[in-house]
Amino acid sequence: MPFREVNSKVIEATVAPGQRLFSQRGAMLAYKGEVSFTPNMQGGQGGVMSMIGRRAAGEAAPLMTVEGSGTVLFGHGGHHIEVINLTGDTLYVEADRLLAFDGTLEQGTMFMGSQGGVMGMVRGQVTGQGLFTTTLKGHGAVAVMAHGGIIEVPITPQRAVHVDPQAYVAHHGDVRNKLSTALGWRDMVGRGSGEAFQLELSGNGAVFVQASEEKL
Amino acid sequence: MWRFVNVRTSGSHCGIRPARTGAGGRTAFRGSTGSRARIPRRCDQGVFRVGIIPEDLSPAASDGYLHTVAMFRLQGSKVLAVDMTGDAVKAKNGSMVAYDGQMDFKKMSGGGEGIRGMVTRRLTGEQMTLMEVKGHGTCWFADRASEINLVTLQGDKLFVESSNLLATDSGLRTGTSFTGMRGASQGNGLFTTTIEGHGQAAIMSDGPAVVLRVSSQYPLTVDPGAYIAHQGNLRQSFQSGVTFRTFMGEGGGEAFQIRFEGDGLVYVQPSERNTIAGEV
Amino acid sequence: MTAYPGTGPVIHDPMTLPSDDNVNNYTFCVELKGSEWFLQKGKMIAYYGSMEFNGIGHGRLDRLVRTSFHSPLHATDWVVASGSGKMLLADRAFDVNSYDLEEGNLTIRSGNLLAFQPSLALKQSIVPGFLTLIGTGKFVAASNGPVVFMEPPIRVDPQALVGWADCPSPCHHYDHGYMTGLMGGLRALTGMGGASGEEHQFEFVGAGTVLLQSSETLMAEQATGLTPNEPGVPGGGGASGGQPSGSPRLPGQLGDLQRRFGL
Repeated sequence: MPFREVNSKVIEATVAPGQRLFSQRGAMLAYKGEVSFTPNMQGGQGGVMSMIGRRAAGEAAPLMTVEGSGTVLFGHGGHHIEVINLTGDTLYVEADRLLAFDGTLEQGTMFMGSQGGVMGMVRGQVTGQGLFTTTLKGHGAVAVMAHGGIIEVPITPQRAVHVDPQAYVAHHGDVRNKLSTALGWRDMVGRGSGEAFQLELSGNGAVFVQASEEKL
Repeated sequence: MWRFVNVRTSGSHCGIRPARTGAGGRTAFRGSTGSRARIPRRCDQGVFRVGIIPEDLSPAASDGYLHTVAMFRLQGSKVLAVDMTGDAVKAKNGSMVAYDGQMDFKKMSGGGEGIRGMVTRRLTGEQMTLMEVKGHGTCWFADRASEINLVTLQGDKLFVESSNLLATDSGLRTGTSFTGMRGASQGNGLFTTTIEGHGQAAIMSDGPAVVLRVSSQYPLTVDPGAYIAHQGNLRQSFQSGVTFRTFMGEGGGEAFQIRFEGDGLVYVQPSERNTIAGEV
Repeated sequence: MTAYPGTGPVIHDPMTLPSDDNVNNYTFCVELKGSEWFLQKGKMIAYYGSMEFNGIGHGRLDRLVRTSFHSPLHATDWVVASGSGKMLLADRAFDVNSYDLEEGNLTIRSGNLLAFQPSLALKQSIVPGFLTLIGTGKFVAASNGPVVFMEPPIRVDPQALVGWADCPSPCHHYDHGYMTGLMGGLRALTGMGGASGEEHQFEFVGAGTVLLQSSETLMAEQATGLTPNEPGVPGGGGASGGQPSGSPRLPGQLGDLQRRFGL
C-alpha cells in the first residue's frame, strides 16, 4: 500500500512513474523528488457530470492528481487520519473527508437518498452532508480524515449499529442504511441535540465513527 | 561551527521512525534519541491515554465496590465506550455517537431535582443538559473531539465545569454548586456541576488533562481558562496578577489566577478558554 | 483520600513533575530555581511555588532583555517568568516540544515559539515572520500536530513549515505548469481550489533539518517587530503595526486578522 502513517495526522505516500494517486487539493505538506500536482476538474474518473452532481449535492471536494516520482507528505487541518485498505470491497465516504487515495480505485457517486427513502432525503438535510456519497471500489488504500480519532464498529446481521449522522465518517461492506427518528427521542428535538435522528446500519461490514459530532 | 543537536522527542513527534539515511531522494526522518521512559507515549493510533488502563478499572480494582453498573472504558482517548446491561448512565445531551443493542434515551433536566434544580436551570441557562441512556449493549460517547478523562469517585465530591462533564454512571449523583467569581470570569455561568457518590465519571478537556495534587506544602495557582475540575477539600481564592496588569496593559494574559489551597486534586487542560481578560 | 494507586490517572505534584520536560504531548513543565524564562503571554496554565511574571518593558529586567532580546519583539506579547517553582506551559492543546540547542541555530515561525531560556539569543530572521534562536539553551515550541523532521532537498508547503536548523534559508519554488494554461488561468480567475494550492513551495537545499507541522493550518501569527527601513533589508520599512510588512502575504494567511481572532 502506498501510504505510510508518519503520525496520527500525517501520511507519507510514495509515487512512482505510471502510478498516480488523488488527493484533496491543498493537503500536500511537503515533497521530495519530482512530483507534480494537477488540479482535477473532472473529479476523477466520474467525468464532468459526476462532478456537477457532486457540486449540486454540496459534495465539492476539489481533488488533484499527484504524479511523478518521489515521496509526498499529506495532512490537512490537523485532522486525524485513518488509512483504510480496501481489498475488493466498496467504501462509502463523504467526498470532503477524503485526504488521498490510490489512483487505481474506481470512483463513483451514490445517491444515498435512494436507500433511505424519504428519510434518506432528510438525512442529507439534517447533517448538511450531501445526498450523494462517494464510493471507492477496488484494491488500494484510502486515507480518510476525521475530527478527533476514529473508531471502527463492526456490523453483523445480528447486531445493527446506530450512529449519530454527524459522527458518521464512512462505511464499507454489504450494509443497508436507514435514517430513523428515534421513538421517544422527540423530547430532545429542539435543543439541537444530534440524537433526534439516527442512522441505522445493518448487514455485514463496518462503520467508521469519529470522536466528534462536528462535520469537517 | 554552529551545530543543532539533540532535538528531543519528549513531546509529540513519537510517530516518527528513527533516522534512516536518505539515499537517492528518499525521505529521511530524523527522530530523536533522548526519549525518556517516564513520559507517556502515544501509541500507534495517535491515542494518548491519561494513565488509565481500562483493565485497571475493572470491578476488582476499585476496593470491593460491586459493579452492577455500566463499565466505562476509553476507546482511544476521545471516545468513551460504555457497556451496559440494563442499567443507566447520564451523559451530555447529544454526545452519543453510536450504539449497538437496545438503548433508550431520555432527556433529563440539568441542575438537580426540585426547586433548587429549577432555579439553577434558570440561572445557568440550562447549560448542563443531560440525557439518560438505558439499555443493553455498548454505547459510544464523544464530544467535539475532546479528550476524555475517567475519574473514579469513592464517596468524595468532584467539582467540574458543567460544559466539561461527559458522562456519569448510575452510582453517582449530580448537583450544582455556586462558583462565584471564577464562573463569571469564564463566561461559563456561575455554577459548577458537583458529582458525588461511588462510581465513575468521564470529564472532557481540550487536550489530555494534567492532574495536579494540592497539599498544605504545595498550593497551586491555575489559569482560570485552563481549569476544568477539582476534587477533595480545597479552598479557592482569586488572585490578580498585578505585575501583569501593570506592565502589560489591557488584555493581559494571566491577569486573573485561581489559587488552590488545602488537600485535593486539580485537573487542568493544556489549553485556555477565552477568559474575560480577552485574548489569552 | 482520592488517590488510588495504579487505578487513576497519573497524579502530579511538584516532586513528580518533570523538570524542563514534557508532562505529556501537549504540556511542558518548566522548573525555575531563581532563574528566568521568557514566555509568550497567556501560555502558562498552572504553577507551584512563588513566581512573578513581568512585562518585557519592566526596568529591573532591562539587562536580561538587552542580552537575550535582540529582536524588537512586540513587547506586550512576551513576559519574563522569574522565581522558583514549577510551571506548566501549553498552547490551545497544540503539540508542544522542547528543543535543545548547543552552540546551534534554529529559525522558527514566530507564532510557534512559546518560551525560551535567556541563555539563547533571539533574533529576527531575515525571512519575515520568522525568528532565529542562537546559542546554547532550551526553547519550547508548539505545532499543529506532531513535528516531522525532514532533510533537504525538499519542497515544503509554506504553511506547513515550522522552521529549520542549520540549512540555508529557503527560496521560493513555483510550479509554473500549474499556474499557466487554461486551468491555471481559471484558477487564478475564480480562486477555486482554496487558499493553499500547491503551486508555490519553499525549497530547501543543503545540509540541515527542516521542521514541518502535521497540518497546513497556521498557528497564530506573532509579531516579530519592525525591521529597519534600509536599502537591502528584506521586509524593511514597515509602515505600521507589528506585521512583518513588505513580505508577500502567503495564501491562507490572514495576518493580523488571524491573530486577532486567535486562529
